[in-house]
Amino acid sequence: MSANIIDRRRINGPQRSVEPLYTAEAPEPFANGRVDSRALDQVRPIFIKTGSLATQTSAAASPSGSAYYEQGKIRISCAIYGPRQGRKSNTRMGVFDCDFKYAPFSCSWKKTHIKSPDEKEIALILEQAVAPAIRLEAYPKASIDAFVTVIESDGKAATISAAVNCISAALVDAGIELYDSVAACSMALNGSQWVSDCTQIEEDAASCSLLVARMPSADEVTYVLQHGKTAPEQTDQGIQTCINSCTRVYAVICRYLQASME
Amino acid sequence: MASLLLSPAEQDYITRGVEKDLRADGRGNLDRREVALRVGMISQANGSARCRIGNLGVGTDVLVGIKAEVNTWAPGDPEDAGTIECSVECSPSAAQAFEGRGAEEINVELTQLLDRIFNGPQSGVDMKKLCIIPKQAYWVLHIDALVLDVKGSIADTLVWATRAALLSTKLPRVVVETITDENGEMQAEFDVVDDPEDMTLLEGAENLPIAVTFNQIGKRYVVDASDQEEAITQAKLTVAVSPKKEVCAIQKGGVLRGFPPSLLTEILQTAQRVAKEELVKFDRHYAEAKKYAESQSDEPSTGSTFLVSF
Repeated sequence: MSANIIDRRRINGPQRSVEPLYTAEAPEPFANGRVDSRALDQVRPIFIKTGSLATQTSAAASPSGSAYYEQGKIRISCAIYGPRQGRKSNTRMGVFDCDFKYAPFSCSWKKTHIKSPDEKEIALILEQAVAPAIRLEAYPKASIDAFVTVIESDGKAATISAAVNCISAALVDAGIELYDSVAACSMALNGSQWVSDCTQIEEDAASCSLLVARMPSADEVTYVLQHGKTAPEQTDQGIQTCINSCTRVYAVICRYLQASME
Repeated sequence: MASLLLSPAEQDYITRGVEKDLRADGRGNLDRREVALRVGMISQANGSARCRIGNLGVGTDVLVGIKAEVNTWAPGDPEDAGTIECSVECSPSAAQAFEGRGAEEINVELTQLLDRIFNGPQSGVDMKKLCIIPKQAYWVLHIDALVLDVKGSIADTLVWATRAALLSTKLPRVVVETITDENGEMQAEFDVVDDPEDMTLLEGAENLPIAVTFNQIGKRYVVDASDQEEAITQAKLTVAVSPKKEVCAIQKGGVLRGFPPSLLTEILQTAQRVAKEELVKFDRHYAEAKKYAESQSDEPSTGSTFLVSF
């Protein structure tokens, strides 16, 4: 649904439009096992390519590091610019800034090019999840900027955790000093069972979604986000299961990063 | 958020005090400051509340107003439920950093936090009762919060004030009649009763969650951090718990570091205990505020605005 603002720089579509309602049967998310036959604790297959944006015309224009990340149908591209001169010139520690954007065609509903509060909040979430891993005291007066674009999204919590993983890979590609890579994973609660890495239809059918980002070597949880209601034991159980999944995702990220060195 | 500059000696003083369960203002790690709560002082709003958390009459001050509007249904809206829309604004009078566009980031963060806690089935409010006619009309509750002063612990004050405002929200009664129009089809029409005495409260409002923010300082954590304590916080965790002991939202804040998993589990368990005490305290303050609101006469007298007795 478009905003009431008329954009004079573009050719506008109709003032109000809605996506068509498909009445054809979509598969029931949890009826007999999962739609794509994964196990309940199985994360979607991950693919990472670092240095994907490095071949620009001039070296000065290309980002310091970049990564392209796929997880199932989720596709995310991230570029890191920095360390470069920060906005405030006398900070003792560097600043990590993140910019997050959904491409207008990435979600199952059309997004406008104007940044919604949702995208702004996700940018803050990504900053809070990844900044603890960066050695910011090694970059005084500088700022490290990450620009994340979601090309295709499938499940909100899953997309945010994929974005965290993508930024981690891009930071390594940029050669920024890190304590560790951050790996993130998401889960959703279906009844009383936690299901790992849910797609959009699975997440819509679930009552609660949980996202955990973790630095395995330092054994620190850098981000937790729960949206929805649970009993307290379920939250504990969910966080523990998610932490284990994060460790597995971390192993995959490390293997791709090692392969990219060869 | 712009924070105070603390010298290393002050930081050390606060950190060591927290390790020994003794904070700069004499509280224990899990004690909250004084709370002042007033409800129903904005006559134009369907519900309103003002909450201040702080010592000696100075503290974080939040004013929440709730207005209810009838929305026409459009494809894509929920078919048989109403919605809640939240908006938080930090007034520039609260801190110099909030002038102009400085408050943009924190406004978005707090708005999304409120939305995560209150908009949806996890808030406990019966959203289906907010539907007037399915697929035709529903109530939208616009929750607008204004942060007037900041002395640490904004999220908690915000949730306290919003909870009080939602508990005291009165919706006008709606009469729905089905009539047969000229084509012989059944049409439903509704009429809002315009009687200030004939209002209903929100169903399920007593299940609303309350939020507690834990700030990690050194190796321990505190509840309801003052602004000095927030300046040296490394990481914080906001947990929303309902009266039925369900966890309604968890959100981490802070960019300096993360939580060790053992501390995280400990905080979640402590959150249950602290939230239970908070809810008891809240009910007491709310009952007082309600009694005060009802005892006020309809004519405003000079000097009895919500500033003086607060």
